[in-house]
Amino acid sequence: MLEVIWHARGGQGAFTAARVLGAAASADPDTFALAFPTFGPERRGAPMRAYTKIAARPIGDRSASRRAAIVVYLDDTLFADGWEDELAEGGVVLLNSKVAHPDARVVTVDGSGLAADILGRAIPNTVFLGAIAALCDAVTLENVEEGIRATMPAKLHERNIAVVRAAYDLVAGRARADALPCCSEAAPIEGASGEKEREASSVVSAEPPARIIPQLQELTVAPERFARSTCFQGGHLVSKNAGWRSLRPLVDQQACTGCFNCYLLCPDGTIYKQPGAGSSSTVAIDYDFCKGCGICAKACPAHCIAMVEEGGGRDEALHIRQ
Amino acid sequence: MSVNARTMSDDELFYGHKACPGCGGALVVRQALKVLGKDAVAALPAGCMSATGFNFPQLAFANNAMITPFAATASVLSGIEAGLRAQGIKPDGCTVVGFAGDGGTADIGLQALSGAIDRNDDVLYFCYDNEAYMNTGIQRSSETPFGASTTTTPAGPSHPGCVTGKKDLFAMVAAQGIPYAATASIGYPNDLLKKVEKARDIRGTRFIHVMAPCPVGWGFPSSDTIALGKGIVDCGLWYLAEYEDGRFTLNRDPGRFASVADHLRSQSRYRALTDADIVTIEAHRDQVWQRLRQRCSCESS
Ligand SMILES: Cc1ncc(C[n+]2csc(CCOP(=O)(O)OP(=O)(O)O)c2C)c(N)n1
Ligand code: SF4
Ligand SMILES: [Mg+2]
Repeated sequence: MLEVIWHARGGQGAFTAARVLGAAASADPDTFALAFPTFGPERRGAPMRAYTKIAARPIGDRSASRRAAIVVYLDDTLFADGWEDELAEGGVVLLNSKVAHPDARVVTVDGSGLAADILGRAIPNTVFLGAIAALCDAVTLENVEEGIRATMPAKLHERNIAVVRAAYDLVAGRARADALPCCSEAAPIEGASGEKEREASSVVSAEPPARIIPQLQELTVAPERFARSTCFQGGHLVSKNAGWRSLRPLVDQQACTGCFNCYLLCPDGTIYKQPGAGSSSTVAIDYDFCKGCGICAKACPAHCIAMVEEGGGRDEALHIRQ
Repeated sequence: MSVNARTMSDDELFYGHKACPGCGGALVVRQALKVLGKDAVAALPAGCMSATGFNFPQLAFANNAMITPFAATASVLSGIEAGLRAQGIKPDGCTVVGFAGDGGTADIGLQALSGAIDRNDDVLYFCYDNEAYMNTGIQRSSETPFGASTTTTPAGPSHPGCVTGKKDLFAMVAAQGIPYAATASIGYPNDLLKKVEKARDIRGTRFIHVMAPCPVGWGFPSSDTIALGKGIVDCGLWYLAEYEDGRFTLNRDPGRFASVADHLRSQSRYRALTDADIVTIEAHRDQVWQRLRQRCSCESS
């Protein structure tokens, strides 16, 4: 079975791509495929995953893949430490990025740039279908085109097929000579090798704090264990809202006048007051919960909040208010 | 003391929720709870704020809060209030507060709300109005305005989208003689905070209808939520008013309206509107305002 894990943010089309890939592979009557997303009730911009499974037999296992031959990141801010744990032996990571990665297992493609050029919108999902066709025997370029015609609205066919072809040429031109080993039947992976045993610590004291300033109560909540036990600590603020942002607000502490407009208007309440120089006050941001909406940057009358790109070495400030 | 950005409590009682970046509804809940305090007991029906506020294992509410069936916000509030009274906590120990969407209020929850007002139960009811059923993917509600495209009123070359206008909840609750009702918008936060504070201190049923722009359902960048919440008031498609002791007050009467076209064109849900449609919308706005001005004595201009 060939498994593909798609990492993306809600709205980037990962599930569409997962489905098109499945449709492409199952164009061959002897091949079966399954595609499904996983996400919570989180909203647009939140990290999500999608999966494609391809096999020569009907696939009964509908659970999320733990390791895969191909792991795609439609958003490079989601590519984090521990990525190797998800990659099967001999597999490849496809990363949407302008910058090359030193590890030979990571193939970077400027998917957003390519999509922007051809589609007019930086939606990188179909770029990676072309890349997968170039790297792997399970689907051909023709299969992918057929998959697009079969599953996407007609008005999107032409340009997405152009995107797929461009991506195919780009990746085929520089891909390694050896095909992906796991396109043939891969050995099943025993247990959860990447899983670290985390001990749930004792329940936090029920004593109510005098003032309710949000504070993470517990960092050992491990959602991957939910399916195996019925006892998990839940309650107010037991986990972070990490990974939502693509832009990060930065406050210029010198320029902040302490008007608290941003504090007033943050839908997530992630801006808090702090003492500034002398008797003045300024604000700071709780990045564990900020979603990068940009309301604060627009609300600041002194223009002292800049939205900068998250995660990259690129530190060009994108002042939302031009 | 009036509550504002400087004086408001540092407590963040709605934190770590999973609403979209730039969600107007989340800001309504956050600001209201800052005024009502940690002892407030909240109830929320099905809708974005409950779907994003209660995610196992994470509870985003620091105060007591629960989810109600979709139709039952006001009845659940009535029950909570009676229970707290039996325990000696009500009438003065806390506020019983509901946060329901426009669908949960103007459509399926209307009868429960009307019943609570009829009994004059001591509850504070917020309708955060994002003008559609957002949690289930943008279906029309009876608060969806004329011309807005939703998945159940899709706009096309020969059709402007939603062909009905907004149900006048404010007039409806006032017609029942409710002790306090108000309209507000997150684009005018100080006006909203003032109304929450006032409603907190009144006994009996209170109702606040807050305009809460939704970047996803309306189609605008997440950074523009506040601007849209202000713009909709400035162009006259929403208004800030109060009803108290049988009297209507208009809190803001823009002598001249800002451009309706500019406001509408900044949202993709109005993409299909023709210039003629916009003239229709302006004419309807003028009728609404004529009625409003007749009804209200003006507080300011
Ligand atoms: C009786 C019933 N019908 C339908 C639903 C499905 N449902 C859940 S949330 C929702 C939409 C709520 O819309 P609104 O009240 O405007 O709140 P919003 O999601 O926009 O915040 C619907 C239809 C339900 N939960 N219960
Ligand atoms: S869909 Fe709209 S109302 Fe719902 S959480 Fe997202 S922004 Fe808020
Ligand atoms: Mg709604």
